[in-house]
Amino acid sequence: MIIWSKKVLLIVFGCLVFGVPQAICATSPLEQVRVAVDQVIEVLRQGELQGEARRKVLSKLLRSRFDFYIMSQRTLGQHWKKATEQEQDEFVRLYSELLEASYIGKIEAYTDETVDFNSEKIDGIRAVVATVVHSNNTDIPIDYSMVKKGDDWFVYDVVVEDISLIKNYRSSYGEIVRKEGYAGLFERMRKKIAELHEQPVGAREKT
Amino acid sequence: MPVKNQIILLLVVLLAVSIDSTWAGQMEDDSALASATDQSEVDWTELDEDDQELEVWDPLEPFNRSMFWFNDKLYFYLLKPVAKSYRFVAPEPARESVSNFFHNLATPVRFLNCLLQGKGHDAASELALFMINTTFGIVGLFDLTPDDMVKPDAEDFGQTLGRYGTSTGFYLVLPVFGPSNARDAVGLVADSLTHPVPSPFYLKMKPLEEAGIQTYDRVNELSLDKDTYESIKKDELDPYLFIRNAFMQKRAAKVEK
Repeated sequence: MIIWSKKVLLIVFGCLVFGVPQAICATSPLEQVRVAVDQVIEVLRQGELQGEARRKVLSKLLRSRFDFYIMSQRTLGQHWKKATEQEQDEFVRLYSELLEASYIGKIEAYTDETVDFNSEKIDGIRAVVATVVHSNNTDIPIDYSMVKKGDDWFVYDVVVEDISLIKNYRSSYGEIVRKEGYAGLFERMRKKIAELHEQPVGAREKT
Repeated sequence: MPVKNQIILLLVVLLAVSIDSTWAGQMEDDSALASATDQSEVDWTELDEDDQELEVWDPLEPFNRSMFWFNDKLYFYLLKPVAKSYRFVAPEPARESVSNFFHNLATPVRFLNCLLQGKGHDAASELALFMINTTFGIVGLFDLTPDDMVKPDAEDFGQTLGRYGTSTGFYLVLPVFGPSNARDAVGLVADSLTHPVPSPFYLKMKPLEEAGIQTYDRVNELSLDKDTYESIKKDELDPYLFIRNAFMQKRAAKVEK
């Protein structure tokens, strides 16, 4: 106990005096994803929070690890550049809300899945963290594309079973913008968000 | 002594946490600055070079959308209710076993396509698994794949064509079978020659038996599925576009593997 606490003291002291927390505490993209996923699982598992309160906590966790601004740029691609600033802002706002609502709807159905954090590939300010979710007898590979900002890493794409979420939305949203313009896209997004918020919490059948 | 130690430790940790959080605040500011520079360096609206955008060629969209609508109704009014009742009467391990059985039964298709693609190692794995699961696994009801063995990726003729450079052609939604494309639809026909159930060369089943068995396979798989389609319909602005793109991405990745 004494030895252990001395070690901890040393590290804490070191952090304080030499300002190394960034070296020790600023962690790799893999660690950051792990911490975020663990926090989410913890919230779901302990079951103390329910309904709206829980959604708020999950929302905060998501927004601290996802970069919705970059995700929006990537999703709209060329359309982003042609959009007015107001359209861009509105898109980011609606898109974050939509992704959040659908993501929370999915993870609320969490039962007893476990997650393996397999590897990270860092390339400059970008990185890919490979994870596998074990659910019943199926393994679902999920890769997180991340970007470094300061000392933190933020998710800008999620690739589930080889399907990139952003590339998918890029193609479908692009088509909607082409055909219906931003007014049409925003209209659809607002409707969808309203629908998703009406869904009862955690309604999914088990197999 | 230990108590005193712990109190000191607690104090130091508290101090560290409080200072750290102020730092975190500063770091947030810093990162906001850094992000501004990062973002001006990178044009995030462009995909990376090795990350080609998938433009799906869909000249038959009106037809495809009507097939999509048909499959949707088939799913909600027939297949899903049947799968649900079946799920209710058959316990999950039994349904897993049925799934294993059908997977094992389809080995000839995967084995042959491994060979056609020059994947000798995967072909050998397919064959070994088939022999073990058919015998010790009782006609494939039990999957005895060792934990440390990576199952070979399921190969089919569409992928074989893709591997030799055939492009996907137009997107195609088939009734009952679902999303496909010109290339994979040809592949589907070719694979039906080697798959034991539809094959005209061995077993030689009657069309009705064939249809029955394939429907059962499908319903069994559906009973194990966790409402994937429902969640897509619930979440997406246009499920047709979502599935079209997801299918094409998935197939492109499978050809690469």
